[in-house]
Amino acid sequence: MKCRTTRFGTLDIAEEALLTFPSGILGFAEWTRYVLLDHDTEAPIKWLQCVENPELAFVVLDPVLFKPDYQVALGEDALAELESREGDDLSVVIILTIPSEDPTRVTANLRGPLVMNHRTRRCKQLVLSDDIPTRHPLFDTAVSRPGTPATSLQATAC
Amino acid sequence: MLVLTRRRGEGVTIGPNVRIVVLGIKGGQVRLGIEAPSNVEVHRDEVHARIQEENRMAAGTGAIPLEAFRQLSQRSGVGDPRRRR
Repeated sequence: MKCRTTRFGTLDIAEEALLTFPSGILGFAEWTRYVLLDHDTEAPIKWLQCVENPELAFVVLDPVLFKPDYQVALGEDALAELESREGDDLSVVIILTIPSEDPTRVTANLRGPLVMNHRTRRCKQLVLSDDIPTRHPLFDTAVSRPGTPATSLQATAC
Repeated sequence: MLVLTRRRGEGVTIGPNVRIVVLGIKGGQVRLGIEAPSNVEVHRDEVHARIQEENRMAAGTGAIPLEAFRQLSQRSGVGDPRRRR
C-alpha cells in the first residue's frame, strides 16, 4: 500500500509490515495502524510512522541500549489485546521526546512503553503503575549520581 | 455521569468484581480503597494525562541529534559482536 508521510515522502508499505494498535497510542486513539521504519543512518533509533496520518510519527528506541535491566510485566488485558499466546515473541520499545529547542536533551518515556507481538503484529502502549519517569534523560545515563536509587526498573507483576 | 453521595466507610460496587470504598476524608482530600481483579488497570488520572502529554510532545519531533545517538550505539556495543553477551 502507498503511504504518504510528511517526513519521509510517499512510502510503499507491505501489508505484513503493518502494526496495529487496537487502542491507539494515548492521546492519538483515533489512529491505529503504524509501520516501523529504520532511520537511514547507523543511529539505533527507529521511526514509528502512522500510515493513516502523514504527520504522526514517533522516534522509538530499544531500551536495552540505555537501560539493559528494563523490564515490563504484562497483565491479562494487555496480553489479550496483543492476542498473545505462549511462545509469542514480544518486544518493547520506548518513545523518545526530542525537544526542538535542544535536540540533545532527549528523554525516554519509560512509564509508557510500547509492546509489540511479532506474530500478530498487534501492539499496545502500557501505562506502568510503578513510579517510573516519563522523562528519563537519555544521554545522562553514563553519569552515576551518588545518592540516587539503583536504576533497576522492574515493573511488578500484575 | 452518575453522582452518588457516600460517607466514610461506605462504598460503591462497579460490575461484578470492582469495589471502591471511601476510607477517609480530610482537608479536601478523599482516601479511596479500590478492590479490583489484577487484570483491571487502575491509575490516577494524572498518570494517563502525563503519558498523553508526553506522547504529544514526542509526536512533534523534528531534528534528530544523530551524533549523540551514534555514540549511544557505540557505547552500548550494538553492532559490535565482541561486546555482545
